[in-house]
Amino acid sequence: MQIPIPKKIISVVLLMTIMSVNNRTVAQTAEKAKDSLLAKQAQDSIALLKMIEQQMQAGQTNQPQAVPQQTRSAISANPDIGVVADFRGSYISQGKRNFNAYLNETEISFQSVVDPYIRADFFASFSRDAATGKYGAGIEEGYLTSLSLPAKLQLKVGKFRQAVGKINPTHPHALPFIDLPNAYVNYFGEEGLNDEGASISWLVPNKAFYQELVFQVTSGAGESPSFFRGDNNKMIYLAHLKNFFTLSDNATLEFGLTGITGPNDSSSVTNMATADITYKWKPVQMNTYRSLTWQTEFFYSNAKYSGKNESNSTGLYSFLEYQVAQRWFLTGRYDYAQKPYDRSIVENAYSLTAGWLATEFQKIEFEGKMTHVNKEPDYNQFWLRWIFVIGAHGAHQY
Amino acid sequence: MKKILSILAILLVTVTGTNAAIRIVTTTMDMRSIAEMIGGNKVSVSNIATGYQNPHFVDPKPSYIIAISNADLFVTVGLDLETGWSPQLLASSRNPKIQKGSPGYVDASEGMGLLQVPSAVNRGEGDIHIYGNPHYWLDPLNGKVIARNIANGMERIDPANKAYYEANLAAFNVKIDMKLKEWEAKMAPYRGSKIIAYHNEWVYFEKRFGLQIVDFMEPKPGIPPSPSQLVKVINEVTANKIKVIISSPYFTTSSSDVVAKQTGVKELTMATSTGAFPSIKTYFDLFDYDIDQLVSVLK
Repeated sequence: MQIPIPKKIISVVLLMTIMSVNNRTVAQTAEKAKDSLLAKQAQDSIALLKMIEQQMQAGQTNQPQAVPQQTRSAISANPDIGVVADFRGSYISQGKRNFNAYLNETEISFQSVVDPYIRADFFASFSRDAATGKYGAGIEEGYLTSLSLPAKLQLKVGKFRQAVGKINPTHPHALPFIDLPNAYVNYFGEEGLNDEGASISWLVPNKAFYQELVFQVTSGAGESPSFFRGDNNKMIYLAHLKNFFTLSDNATLEFGLTGITGPNDSSSVTNMATADITYKWKPVQMNTYRSLTWQTEFFYSNAKYSGKNESNSTGLYSFLEYQVAQRWFLTGRYDYAQKPYDRSIVENAYSLTAGWLATEFQKIEFEGKMTHVNKEPDYNQFWLRWIFVIGAHGAHQY
Repeated sequence: MKKILSILAILLVTVTGTNAAIRIVTTTMDMRSIAEMIGGNKVSVSNIATGYQNPHFVDPKPSYIIAISNADLFVTVGLDLETGWSPQLLASSRNPKIQKGSPGYVDASEGMGLLQVPSAVNRGEGDIHIYGNPHYWLDPLNGKVIARNIANGMERIDPANKAYYEANLAAFNVKIDMKLKEWEAKMAPYRGSKIIAYHNEWVYFEKRFGLQIVDFMEPKPGIPPSPSQLVKVINEVTANKIKVIISSPYFTTSSSDVVAKQTGVKELTMATSTGAFPSIKTYFDLFDYDIDQLVSVLK
């Protein structure tokens, strides 16, 4: 393949040589002839320039073009920076203040490979405290991930959303509903199980289907209702096994199991087991127009309290998301939850969310939810969420 | 201890001594087809995206990680075509051999003459590509640059077979030149033909074969056709006596159906990649198919 750069260089060098030769000739020429010669030389130079231009244009149509200069914005050593924010309106049928409107959370992400061995992902969050309405800054996640450990191992160190099931590792803006399932909130809180420590994951050498085993040790600084680190050396230990099956080009099935054990706020121990199952159908050819996801998680908790008291509780959520058109998504969800400290308090909730995705960078969702608690009056809630992304935004987990 | 060491040594020799093929994973079918032609019997190649799916929107399924984690060479179209999925798959692969910057990472766009490189980036213009239009493989002459990059990658990790890859590369280039003459001859009577396209992914093809894309069904790249855009396109089709609207297998035809009904313009689903239709088995078949289809509607 020929590229026109050398030709260009040759032409320019040729032009410069001719001009410099011309200059020398001018110096040696008699005064009289100077004016006419200069004029002729100027004409020659212009003619030559035109000829070169023509040649270059002709050359361009026959050959691939030269690599254009990249713009400065395209190449820089800065990390990928993105901002995700969501503005919300809400209604609740209980209490005196029923309507609310607020900028819920602004998340700023900084993501980059550090060197050939690790990458760094940091997410700073400016979020609104639901109780006080005041905004506070914090690090939602900040972790390093290894890229070159042997034996198909990957190490993650820092503050991260932990590997429990499917909802917990996902940033809330990527979920197909606005509120979180009751059972999930009862066990892990609105912020989820998001803690500081280390995580090692192993890609099981299984060629038949994808299998990943994750083991995490965290220091328990996160604010989750189930786990609390007291003034001692008891850590939270978590193990997760992920199994992913490709059923066909268009359908996949994921099945996961998680076990967690750690200290609770009664200076005793909480043990949890969860299972998740996700079926996705997305026709490969028309994957931007139609899709269906069915996802269910079961939670079981055994919380030991001071003395010989203990409480066993369970919970689950199950949702079906259907993409009705290129930009429209409908999600129906059922929640069942027992309170972790008292299994006789049972919540049942039904919700429906409609989402409109303008582009990959903007979506508007509307959700309605009915909650029935066996020892309290029923209540209804509505939310409107408008999410946008500016700057870079990395891919989400499948 | 000595026994164990000797067993280990034997194992090591058997592992390294076997003439195992180089394992290559490519993001698209076009890269796979070219890699197979350059690598011949020294390589085994698999791909992620199929030929009939939108290469911008591939779901990063964990199952793809199995092949990537065992690959010796990873070939990407590059620029920001696969930005929504391939970086995540690479980061999860636990395979240092094929990370960006490693010898096993091949960016096929290296040294490519790019078109539509923006001087500034504004998402108000739709899904624009910050490095330039990434659908460059649709100019067969660019296939030579792709092939050169892939051959470089193979020679980096398997220098012993350099002569073999170079010979295959030379044969590939000869075939491109030969076929290009044939394709250009077929398209010659239709140079300057005005057409409408669904998405802005034909600029390299357009330029090579002298077509003139007047407008797109999408008002802006990635934005679905709006009623006002349809009206605009209908007027353009009528004013310019446009014969065809070209689209790709992964877009619906509902909007171009409307234009066709109003104006009588023909609709043609062209192949954007190898494997788009069962008969397109190689990178060369891709142009054979598209040019034959186009000629039949432009006649």
